[in-house]
Amino acid sequence: MGIFGRKKKNNASSAGRGIVLIREVPDAMRGEKKLGKVGFYTRLVAPPPEFREGCDLAIEIDIMEMPAIERKLGEEGIPFMKIIPLGNESTEPVDIVNVVRYADSVMVKAGNMKMTFDHSSGLILNVSGGGCPDVPYLYAIYVGENLQKARKPRDIGFTLCALMLDRAFEECLKIYAG
Amino acid sequence: MLLIAGTVPDKDIGLAFGEARLKNGILDVSGVEISRTQGTAAMISAAAVTLDYLGIKTPPCAAIAGDIGNGTGSRKLYKYLISELPGIEPDVLALHYLMPIIPQMVKLVDCAEKMSKKPTLIADAGSMYAVKAAGLSKKFALMTPDRGEMSFLADPEATHPAYIRHHLMGNDGRGVPELINDLYQNGSAPDTLMVKGSTDYIANKGRIVETVSKPDVPEMEAIGGTGDTHNRHMSSLFF
Repeated sequence: MGIFGRKKKNNASSAGRGIVLIREVPDAMRGEKKLGKVGFYTRLVAPPPEFREGCDLAIEIDIMEMPAIERKLGEEGIPFMKIIPLGNESTEPVDIVNVVRYADSVMVKAGNMKMTFDHSSGLILNVSGGGCPDVPYLYAIYVGENLQKARKPRDIGFTLCALMLDRAFEECLKIYAG
Repeated sequence: MLLIAGTVPDKDIGLAFGEARLKNGILDVSGVEISRTQGTAAMISAAAVTLDYLGIKTPPCAAIAGDIGNGTGSRKLYKYLISELPGIEPDVLALHYLMPIIPQMVKLVDCAEKMSKKPTLIADAGSMYAVKAAGLSKKFALMTPDRGEMSFLADPEATHPAYIRHHLMGNDGRGVPELINDLYQNGSAPDTLMVKGSTDYIANKGRIVETVSKPDVPEMEAIGGTGDTHNRHMSSLFF
């Protein structure tokens, strides 16, 4: 069977899938191999026509694992253009951020995730929302940490919830810096 | 039996199944001790307290596995439930923090559907995302989204709340009642929806049957674990 039909784990439909757009075919093949080796769902596919930017090969992934996959590709030095969900009209993660100010603290909501910090000390008071398994893990890491000393959620988390938390975190940093 | 299944944020915890009991403020699931304040552990603890308050002697059962977000524990849990659910025979199965792995959720729900006495199914958190993305919401008795998650449920294409179409994000003047209506019209709603917010909306089979606006404490939104706890009160009442 040709590489476009090769599946690693199952025959699920495109629901919940995404693709990594990669310009060079050898990079795509190397990326698929590296990701598959550490247990990610992967499949080499042709990118949808509207996303062909000179590339003709992409890696199908589980979109929920986007930050972990970005991180792994970065660690392996595999260049990629973009990661997009399959079957969605929206190809960009939600970018609407809402800010709620309480007496002593500020809550920033990005998509389904929320981060709250003490506006005088910068101490992170809460992480909530979301539903992926890294949310309680990130809560345990961040609560009690100082915003300016904490690592980025996208460097620690694995899922789209972590990606949304990263957006909230960046906004918290901006607000705290004034 | 009320069975609660979900992950806990400790990679060193393997799969554990058994009765869940609170001992001196620590949650014990078949000899595995976990903090009760967040996520799946908060919901199991709330269920244990609620069942006790209701005078139900049987504690909840829990199936847990350690998972820090890479899906390892979630995969173990899906596999275990798909294999063992018919033997466990729960009356209510409440699914919580799980990696939304859609093919696995399809298999799990199919397994529940084939049981001689199908358990009442409840989903929240990542499980709710997987159920929605797999188009299985109608097979569930209860979901408890917040306003943002309602936008996700009402978006027929979205497979995760990170990819909701912008016009559903609440900036078009559409409120929760309209989103609830959309969801039932799409045929993609569970029997009962409880939408959490400054006003809570309870809808059953397409109709809003109750709203709760007081007390309204805005700070509650910035306290993690409140939704987890609330969902488990509801699961216990279903049981």
